[in-house]
Amino acid sequence: MKLLSRRKFLQSSTATALLFMAGCKKQTRPGSKADYPSLKIGNSKTLKPNQPLTFNFPDRQSPCVLVKTGSEAIDGIGSQKDIVAFSSLCTHMGCPVTYSKGRLICKCHYSMFDVNRNGQTFQGLASQWIPQIVLREDPASGDIFAEGVQGLIYGRIGNLKVS
Amino acid sequence: MALFKRKDELPIPPGDAEKYTTVCQYCSAGCGYNVYVWPEDKNGSATANAFGVDLSKQGKLMSGFSYTETMHNVITRKNGKQYNLAVIPAKESRINKGDYSIRGGTNALTAYNPDGYTKKRLKDPLIRRENGFVPISWDDAVEIIATLTKSSIDKYGADSIAMKFYDHGSSGLGFEDNWAAGKFFLSGVKTSYLSIHNRPAYNSETWGTRERGMHELNYDVDDARLADTVVLWGANAYESATILYTEHIMPNLQGGSVADKKKAFDPGEPAAEGHIVIIDPRKNATVAVSQDIAADRVLHIRPNLGTDWILANAIARIIWENRWYDQEFLDKRTDMKTFGEYKQKSLQSGKPLATLLADAERITGVPKTQMQQAAEWMAKPKEGGFKRRTLTLFEKGIIWNMKNYDQVAAIAQLNVLGHNVGRVGTGCGRLGGHQEGYVRPPAPTPGSIHAGGPPKNVDKYITGGGGKIYWVGATDPYLSTPNSQFFRKSVKKRADALLDYLDNGGVPTEVKAYADKVLEAFEKTGGLFMIVQDMYMTHTAADAMMILPAAGWGEAVDTSINCHSRLLRIYDKFMDAPGEALPDWQILARIGNRIKALYETDGNKQMAERFGGMEWKSDAEVFEAGSKEFGDNKVAETEEAKLSPECYVGVTHDMLRKLGNEGIQTPVRRDPATGRLSGTKRRYTHSFASKDGLFKWYGTDPWTGYPAEVAKYQHNATYPFWFTTGRSQHVWQTMYHDRKIPEKYFTLPLPYVEIHPEDAGKLGMKSGDMVDVFNEEGSSTALVYVNDSTKPGLIFGIMYHAKGSMNHLISSYTDPKTTIPWYKGTKVGIRKYTGKPDEAIKTASLLANNDVSL
Ligand code: SF4
Ligand code: FES
Repeated sequence: MKLLSRRKFLQSSTATALLFMAGCKKQTRPGSKADYPSLKIGNSKTLKPNQPLTFNFPDRQSPCVLVKTGSEAIDGIGSQKDIVAFSSLCTHMGCPVTYSKGRLICKCHYSMFDVNRNGQTFQGLASQWIPQIVLREDPASGDIFAEGVQGLIYGRIGNLKVS
Repeated sequence: MALFKRKDELPIPPGDAEKYTTVCQYCSAGCGYNVYVWPEDKNGSATANAFGVDLSKQGKLMSGFSYTETMHNVITRKNGKQYNLAVIPAKESRINKGDYSIRGGTNALTAYNPDGYTKKRLKDPLIRRENGFVPISWDDAVEIIATLTKSSIDKYGADSIAMKFYDHGSSGLGFEDNWAAGKFFLSGVKTSYLSIHNRPAYNSETWGTRERGMHELNYDVDDARLADTVVLWGANAYESATILYTEHIMPNLQGGSVADKKKAFDPGEPAAEGHIVIIDPRKNATVAVSQDIAADRVLHIRPNLGTDWILANAIARIIWENRWYDQEFLDKRTDMKTFGEYKQKSLQSGKPLATLLADAERITGVPKTQMQQAAEWMAKPKEGGFKRRTLTLFEKGIIWNMKNYDQVAAIAQLNVLGHNVGRVGTGCGRLGGHQEGYVRPPAPTPGSIHAGGPPKNVDKYITGGGGKIYWVGATDPYLSTPNSQFFRKSVKKRADALLDYLDNGGVPTEVKAYADKVLEAFEKTGGLFMIVQDMYMTHTAADAMMILPAAGWGEAVDTSINCHSRLLRIYDKFMDAPGEALPDWQILARIGNRIKALYETDGNKQMAERFGGMEWKSDAEVFEAGSKEFGDNKVAETEEAKLSPECYVGVTHDMLRKLGNEGIQTPVRRDPATGRLSGTKRRYTHSFASKDGLFKWYGTDPWTGYPAEVAKYQHNATYPFWFTTGRSQHVWQTMYHDRKIPEKYFTLPLPYVEIHPEDAGKLGMKSGDMVDVFNEEGSSTALVYVNDSTKPGLIFGIMYHAKGSMNHLISSYTDPKTTIPWYKGTKVGIRKYTGKPDEAIKTASLLANNDVSL
């Protein structure tokens, strides 16, 4: 089953819901109260550098982006430790962010987040770094799973608390 | 592992949470905030909460309500109980409309939390003994300082006390603390060696416009949306007064305010998307963002360092030649008796236009075509003959430029020539750094060299061995003063000499004996007794003899105004200060009252009286006492120019609590017709702030090159680069809070310089390298970012940082007219260190912060 279509991530606050697979295996992460699902979002063997994939996680109202950055990233996975994923809602006021040149950029007030550096705001207004998605790679198949979120998704009181 | 612990859920304030209004503690924008405090074990629900927002649904983009990880903290009150704290950008504030910057967005994280980032606050008065700090009681601290201050005044005179104290609003706690500091130092001690937080003397940075009859805060935020053209002159608005840019200037550029312009302008007057002129040697993020929005309506001018007034005069000359001015306005509202001098010296009417422009081009490095374009965008009448509406905001690039007085005067005059003040969509003044809240007895030096000045240079006094007691309040001059390496070494030497003398034979424990030995040490060593009042242990405080713990934002009631509307609001107290920390007004009142009592015991009535009037019981009383300084404010709207810019006579804390985020704009008048208090939206519509109400023209100096302190580096191959400094979007001032907050220190781990790719190529430097920047004043170590913000031949450095200061490199030159330093220009050499700070580079982004293209 082909889960993801590869395409350039375009500005969109409502990333396509079809990418979200509900009801996957639940995964409880140490140190986190939240009970995140485990969702297959891509495969390290087919992922091309700087060609991001979009997905929704932990639910269909939360657009995210998966990218192979080409250089070692904090919390990156894969053989080069360069595969990372982030929420794509700007943590400043919730506008969509776009991936380009190693960063996520928001054109509402020009916050920019470094994807190799834990999603830190290296320029702009967002006081909260953009949430990084916890990833796991299945070593045999190269399948990549989203299994948690580090940081609060914009517009939520809790990452798993929206109806 | 994430670099630091993140949250994925936040507590919810119940409907009955305590609610306070406040204003951001940081920049001149003064964004409104709401504060919620509630017991840790008593949360509200997604649908019933104090925010009045349905939190069960995914929040919409740009809804105006944000509650992020950085907006929550846990505080402990004096009762020992823990409370949740949420500090939320106020949607109902017309300043920010729910928007916030990376600085203000972390207001909550700065709140004192015994287990949190900011746990290392100063909690007790400290005294240095045997070269270590020991906590003492307030009673002892007050007794020692009062005794010593009095003894020093009695023995050596008032000028033996020197001070460097903040005079601003917001984080420093505005009008209340400033009135107390004024009463203590200006009325009580009466020293003439006074200086203001960032600079060597006690002065205004804008006497060049004030002495023309135009105070620098004369516009309203609305004017940034309504202007045909916004001019940012040495003013990096996007990065340092962020919300003024994103909520007011940016919509204007985007065309979002055209409908409002149509309503506000004269009938038939053209209204279109705004233009912006940015005069800055750097292509910083303000330029990059503006160009990304509307490249064809952005003019970026990059003058050579120090030459801006020549540029302003050349633009004014073009306006003059083209008669893009309103003769009737000039005749009625400006002093035409002084215009001749302006015409001759500034406009250089005796010189042919072509020669003047060629000269200006040679000096400033700015092409004539850009001067022409700037003149058109600033003053060329619109279709139908309507006057253009231009708002010009200048900041550190101008006030901290070479020749402070003439730079400021030239820009003020350029704008008044085009009648760009006192009308909708116009204004000419400071962008501002911090907020304001100044009320003090008259300063010993009323103005520039043209008006009773210039004031004394306290840095030179102290480094030259002058003064016995040096009192530093909420500023860290080891980082922030110009020529800071020399300053630090000089102060340290004197402080250590005093300490060594006291240590020798043991430090007396009894107050009088201690004071006597300190006085003896003054005689024997030329030492300096430094007292520091602050929230944290600072670089400077480490060499103090006594440190007094001060309360901060949210820990005491504060009132201040912002810069872009002079909007007076209350910054309410919502938590207790840590340990024994007190608001500065209370500290100074305790010491002042004790000195008064000591003089009474001596039977010295005159001196006792000098320290009188500080017997306040509450912050509200201090606020009211300060208001008396403004005199009577019963004037009609047409007479507002007669009022002091920050006049708030008749306003009370209770009234401000009721007004909340709405506030009231100073100067506040009591309307003679209605008897009611009334704010002032925009200044100088009817007259200027001079005795006869007319704007006073002034002829600026000609270009005569750089001052000796910098000229010595010209044509010296050891110092091939021009060097300028500025700030980062992320952090506030010396990073006194930000150095503790991971969102900030991971991104900016070290002081840094920006180098142009062309220079970096020649020097063999890459982003992430470490360098030594040096000249004959000193040296600074910095991390390198290679980007095209600077020009080839120009290096930019962050002015100061928790881990070091670039002011080491800045000369001791000050404008002879005002004693304001030229912080922004010198020449340097640069060399690379072998080896890299791997840990720092691992966490810090090295991406270009001035590239916003996809
Ligand atoms: S723009 Fe200034 S006042 Fe507004 S939130 Fe940021 S730092 Fe605070
Ligand atoms: S919403 Fe992204 S920068 Fe403001």
